[in-house]
Amino acid sequence: MRAAPPDIASEYFEQLRGRYEQAAAATGGAGTLDLEMAGLRLGLRYAGEPLREALLAPFDHLACREAGDPDLMISLFDTASTGVAPPPPPWEPIAAEPGANPVVRLRSERACVLAAAGSRALTAALPAEGVAVFHLPDAAAIPASERAAPIREALQLLMAARGRLMIHAGAVGSGGRGVLLVGRGGSGKSTLALSCALAGMEIVADDYVLLDPASLAVHAMQSTAKLTEDSVARLGIPTGAIDAAGFEPTFEGPAKALVDVRGLAPGCLSRRLEIRAVVAPAVSLPQTTYNGVESRLGEAEPVFRAISAAQGLRAVAPSTIIQSGFGGEGSLAALADLVRRVPSYALELSPDPVANAAAVDRLVGELG
Amino acid sequence: MSEPRFRLSPEIVHETVDGEVIAIDLASGSYYSLAGSGPAVWELLGGGASEAEIGAALASRFEADGETIAAAVSVLLGQLQESNLVVSDEQPGEAAPVAGGSGEKIPFEAPRLERYTDMKDYFLLDPIHEVDTAGWPRPAA
Repeated sequence: MRAAPPDIASEYFEQLRGRYEQAAAATGGAGTLDLEMAGLRLGLRYAGEPLREALLAPFDHLACREAGDPDLMISLFDTASTGVAPPPPPWEPIAAEPGANPVVRLRSERACVLAAAGSRALTAALPAEGVAVFHLPDAAAIPASERAAPIREALQLLMAARGRLMIHAGAVGSGGRGVLLVGRGGSGKSTLALSCALAGMEIVADDYVLLDPASLAVHAMQSTAKLTEDSVARLGIPTGAIDAAGFEPTFEGPAKALVDVRGLAPGCLSRRLEIRAVVAPAVSLPQTTYNGVESRLGEAEPVFRAISAAQGLRAVAPSTIIQSGFGGEGSLAALADLVRRVPSYALELSPDPVANAAAVDRLVGELG
Repeated sequence: MSEPRFRLSPEIVHETVDGEVIAIDLASGSYYSLAGSGPAVWELLGGGASEAEIGAALASRFEADGETIAAAVSVLLGQLQESNLVVSDEQPGEAAPVAGGSGEKIPFEAPRLERYTDMKDYFLLDPIHEVDTAGWPRPAA
């Protein structure tokens, strides 16, 4: 009988957790941020303030002040501020072309390790046990992808093990009910989500939410949103509201800057919305002439068009599953269930963000 | 030699909604929509089936002559194989129980397979390399 192969993913997790403990000791003990996220208690332990300031501030709105044991725990450290390096990898490192972010993945039944060659973010997790460790080389040089969606892989792994699925979608609404904004990067999700928040609607997120498939509720993670320069101009967002890092190149396309919704639309950030519809925004091209008549930008009204459940699924599932980096079987089934239970719409956007937000608000009201 | 049997590729995830199959190829980042009578073929492929078995099952469910159905099935199987959505094997297998049409036949619509590649660029920028037993990252595909 052959001996079972060693579980090198678990071994690497244990080594990385040991390095985190060293890093925490080197900085005089770990800091802790206790959160309530998607109905679970999540503890974020960090070795050194630089990492907390740079990465964890977007989670402050979920802070939980009541005492209690966390359901999930993510430990974070960087090498520059602690002097502690991660253990040498048991894999052959790969090179990343500029602008690309290939990921090395090591998996076993118990553990999952993800090493991003472009951003150099390292995540190791024991999903069923609810623990993960996250490492970056330098907290003072956080890659744009991590700033936009901090510790995304760790959250995805741990939340999926507790039945909360990370979906590539935004969510806005009113009175605790809302719509899921779906579509690939560049489809207008973020601009529409921020338009709604600026109009006083509730916003859970512009880009990633956690879906509870049973209740069809989506839950918030970070309070930041990501906008292109064009969207910032169209929404009239003041320069002071834009993150100091400014517009940074993204892996998926045009440069984007972070804005914190808490500062921009105080009181609009919502932890949870029950989803009543799936909405796929589409930027309709400005028509300059039609039958010889000039049509000026700004005249078009936003238009909702009912689409089939299959079309709704096509708008949300591929980018969720392809970006997830994991099998995605559970996510596709949950999203299929979602589009069977709520209607899907395409929204042809108007160039006027206020009109778009009003249209979404009307839809939420009609859906009840 | 036994007739090749076709089955769905293990590299894909799929769901059928509203009579349309959505399949995502995790190896390439492409995704597909299959409509018309395609979902009926897809269902049979889930358990593994030969071309003849698929043709016979469809002939018992749809209003069309055997030749029309056989030709449509042949074209679709070719497209599905070319897209790496199904794999074939020559191993003699247990013939899957093929559900015949028990009720009234319905009009036949040729299968329609559409491929979408708009996620591909993103996928290629962010490929996953699995670590094998020797510690070498290899493309997940």
